[in-house]
Amino acid sequence: MDERGANIDVVFRNGLKDYEVLPPPEVWDNIHPVVKTNLRPLLILRTAAAVAVLMSVSFLAYRLTREIPSEIINNVSALDVATIPAIIKHDPVVSVSENRKRNNLLLISRNDAVANSGTIFEPVADEVITSPDIALIQKSGSLSPENSRLLKGPNIPSVNLTQNTAFQTEDFTDLYIQDDNLKKNSERWSIAALATPTYNSSFNSGKDELSKQLDASEQNIVSYSGGVAFSFKVNRRFSVQSGLFYSSVGQMIDGINSFGGFQKYDNTKGDRNFEVLTSSGTIYTNNGDVFLLADGPAERISTSFTNDVFDPVKASLQYINNNLRQNFSYLELPVILRYKFVDKTVDLNLIGGLSYNLLVDNSVYTIVDGIKYSVGKTEGLNSVSISSSLGMGMEYNISDKLSLNLEPTFRYYINRFNQLTGSNVHPYSFGIFSGVSYKF
Amino acid sequence: LSEIKKIIKGCLAGDRRDQELLYRRHSAKLYAVCLQYSGNDEEARDILQEGFIKIFENLHHYKHEGSFEGWMRRITVNTALEKFRSRHNLYRVDDIDQIREPDSEPDNQDYSGLEANDLLGIIRELPPKYRVVFNLYAIEGYSHKEISKMVNISEGTSKSNLSRARVILQRRVGSYTGIKKRVANG
Repeated sequence: MDERGANIDVVFRNGLKDYEVLPPPEVWDNIHPVVKTNLRPLLILRTAAAVAVLMSVSFLAYRLTREIPSEIINNVSALDVATIPAIIKHDPVVSVSENRKRNNLLLISRNDAVANSGTIFEPVADEVITSPDIALIQKSGSLSPENSRLLKGPNIPSVNLTQNTAFQTEDFTDLYIQDDNLKKNSERWSIAALATPTYNSSFNSGKDELSKQLDASEQNIVSYSGGVAFSFKVNRRFSVQSGLFYSSVGQMIDGINSFGGFQKYDNTKGDRNFEVLTSSGTIYTNNGDVFLLADGPAERISTSFTNDVFDPVKASLQYINNNLRQNFSYLELPVILRYKFVDKTVDLNLIGGLSYNLLVDNSVYTIVDGIKYSVGKTEGLNSVSISSSLGMGMEYNISDKLSLNLEPTFRYYINRFNQLTGSNVHPYSFGIFSGVSYKF
Repeated sequence: LSEIKKIIKGCLAGDRRDQELLYRRHSAKLYAVCLQYSGNDEEARDILQEGFIKIFENLHHYKHEGSFEGWMRRITVNTALEKFRSRHNLYRVDDIDQIREPDSEPDNQDYSGLEANDLLGIIRELPPKYRVVFNLYAIEGYSHKEISKMVNISEGTSKSNLSRARVILQRRVGSYTGIKKRVANG
């Protein structure tokens, strides 16, 4: 008989071709709410991504538009020289233009002996009077005609302080220049090495009763995450951070007994001898030597080697352990926005953003005498996932360049962890990242 | 073709009307597939429900290459297989001890007069393990090698189960047509 063209096959193939049966109406009633729910994360995800991109672009655009062209900085005519002598005579405060507002204020406070008013000297262009110039003034302690040349740098060559005879050394005894911000602005980039142990868990909003039962029998295990982060300071408050991180998450499934030495009894190729249902997806064995047996409900393990077919105890298989461990490792590419709300010796930052995570390792193993014994893999996992992060960053400045970082961070996976129907698992994790950052 | 593209686009945008339209257009055909793979109506409804959820969730993967109906059918069949694997311990003894294939009955029967509804009823009476292999091989056109991977059995088991399914179907079709003829003849 022709295998493919067997008469009975043709009868059924042709007879059932284009056959239709109207399904009961309640099927659609059950489908629609689920579909609608599942569409929401996609919408949220797209909105969040759009907001993050817009914010990043806006800040970069803002910053670029505020850059002062170098020709203006070096242009002598940009300085309203004529006003300088008169203003300095009365002004305890010298500041740069409104462009920098108060952030980049070059503040010279002094005794009221010089002047009583608090008016402000404002050169037309930003950074016309540079901090080194002022620092030299401070060191000299005087603005006598002899050292008035100190203000005749490349930025303000035409200032002639010989007219300002009112300035004496004592007038500048408590001269104070706050130019930290200028220094900080010159260090826009930083690189940080961060690592943390993480506590992982998950939200499972799936309606499937089975997935909820599975979830109850699974324990989360402490994992870790670490990597290198690059940060660009957009302005004094905001920074954009990216980098490359490696993270490992996992869970332990109790009640699954594993045995070794099954290979000699296995007449098949050894792949997928056992399938174990978990909330993260179905584990399948790819190690032909392993035999699995459930403690609880037998239906948790799908296999042809059920207890009535094969008894591992009678076959004297080597007992290994009574739990399995699932491990998922990701390479993460974060896009994080940092907002510095306290700018002191210890800086405090609010941290938020998204991370694109690429699944690079998916393994299931059990442990015997501290050694990993490979069991298989988990199928149905999304190879790319997106997580959102929210945290608080503490930065202790050891020096101008070096800082110690401590960043408690909560992370939530926006898209579903797996593609299982009925399961809607969204992992989350909490970790306290610690490390060192270097500004340059 | 452009209309189905429009519906798909609407579904991707979360438009409830387009989702329902897609369901109304294709659910009857896919429900027939679900009935073929299931032993009871409740299971068929579950397969259809889960299958359509997957279809909606994976619509963005459909690249408008090939038949959209075929794409939906494959998802439905895969859903049926998942359901099957989770509910049945497949081929327990058969898988290990290759059972001798049964003798086929001569395939020269008259199958005229059998309607699709009769065929569906007969196929659903098959034991689950035979029904799955027969459906995948005879209806969907998969090879034994492909079936062995899909349901995690050996090729030999797939052939054996197909052979058994054919014998059972031939017997039942024979008795069914005999009864129908007797009824028709009064």
